[in-house]
Amino acid sequence: MVTVKLKPLEEILSSLSNYKKVYVIGCQLGSARCKNGGLREAYRIAGYLELKGFKVVGVKSPGGTCVLDRIDHSTKSIIREAEETADVILSLSCGAGTQLIAENVNIPVKTGVTTLFIGAEREGRYFEEYCIACGDCVISDTGGICPIARCPKSLTNGPCGGAIAGKCEVDPSLPCIWYRIAQKMEQLGELDKLRRSIPPKDYSLSVYPKKLVLEE
Amino acid sequence: MSFREKIASNRFVITAEVAPPRGTDWRPVVESIEPLRGKVDAFNVTDCQRSMVRMAPLPMAKLLKDSGYEPILQLTCRDRNRIALQSELLGAYALGIENVCLMTGDFTTLGDQPDAKPVFDLDSVQLIELASQLNSGRLLNGKELKGKVDLFIGAVYNPFAGPEILQIWKLEKKIKAGARFIQTQPIYDVELARKVSELVYSLGAVPVVGILPIKSLKMANFMKRLNPTSVPDSLIEGLERASDPASYGWEFALDVARACIEFSGGIHFMLVGKVQELANFIDSVKNHSDYSGKF
Repeated sequence: MVTVKLKPLEEILSSLSNYKKVYVIGCQLGSARCKNGGLREAYRIAGYLELKGFKVVGVKSPGGTCVLDRIDHSTKSIIREAEETADVILSLSCGAGTQLIAENVNIPVKTGVTTLFIGAEREGRYFEEYCIACGDCVISDTGGICPIARCPKSLTNGPCGGAIAGKCEVDPSLPCIWYRIAQKMEQLGELDKLRRSIPPKDYSLSVYPKKLVLEE
Repeated sequence: MSFREKIASNRFVITAEVAPPRGTDWRPVVESIEPLRGKVDAFNVTDCQRSMVRMAPLPMAKLLKDSGYEPILQLTCRDRNRIALQSELLGAYALGIENVCLMTGDFTTLGDQPDAKPVFDLDSVQLIELASQLNSGRLLNGKELKGKVDLFIGAVYNPFAGPEILQIWKLEKKIKAGARFIQTQPIYDVELARKVSELVYSLGAVPVVGILPIKSLKMANFMKRLNPTSVPDSLIEGLERASDPASYGWEFALDVARACIEFSGGIHFMLVGKVQELANFIDSVKNHSDYSGKF
């Protein structure tokens, strides 16, 4: 899922300082799952804004703010309601959802979160980056574990010389992902595949903005 | 005889590290190695080591060459994409710099400009392949080069990093890609130096064992933090007991260096401080009858 992190409350307040009536929109997909921008957090922020003298005119958290139909349905449009009642929208959705709101309304949209990464939930307590959406997935060859996202140097030919005692030299609180890849490939009986030299990655496939066109 | 010719004719080589200045004042750097003239075969010019900003290695290598020293240009993947790396290597060869030592490089956040954008477009194996491709007369994209390139390619190996099998396979990939000499991280254990040398020889390259004299217990503990298994307990205990830890650490490193002459292809002195002492050491081994014909 896309993982987000709430911005410091002072920063949110400062971005809203020129406005009075605020409509808060969260997202029940990524933002809610990582407990940093779902309905619960949206209400919490709304309460805080009220305390600080703002008028919160609405709080909603659709199941997928980055899906236009969820925020602007023909029978019930969250963004039309926001536009009609508020001076400003505070979005707790990821960068995609927030931009989709912004390009479909005529009032300012501020973000209350920073989008961090595409990650997975671990032990119900924390989230780790698993994918950088590089556009050229390699994990079928690496035991289902991505060295592009999970090694700071995105190494594909094996670990660097800084992989000491299983730790990553960049952040020793993290394991070197190549230890996990080796362990998994050994379990799968495919360790030998890591002996092959991997050619340079085609970074033209990673150039953003990327686009996905559905075939008719 | 050049560094490359010495390696080709199985002579024992001695290399040392030279860090470009933090600024433009290159003369003191060149002057500081004067006692090593004619003794050290080639000098590795580091590429903003530990991700600290310094003068670029290519001009420093050229300045060394113009001052009568043979350089080994170190190049990392940290700051340059494949376009920059190719153009850098072409420029190096055009300036008469043949020896290169190619590596992935330290990560940006570990240095003194942690806000920099890390590049890592290629890794060490791919960079070595790239250099070999230039040697074959073509760019990475297959286009033909004007003028020949004949780089003498080296790489690095850290015997303390893991997982062991993947590190060995990566070393194998580097050598298959065209690395002819392998400089190692500092080693303080003769048996390990022997084992690493045998490994490198068996894969088809020449080992050059890293030697880094320990100056103090503090430095030993720092090295141990970086690389817990690299500093043997005997060295730590000796430093604790020694009345002059700096000279104890120096002698300890030279004992390893001396032993390497028997079974390895060379030694690589990192962070040269005691230049005159190093020069004396090199003289003593080169003139020693036990090692006649080795150099």
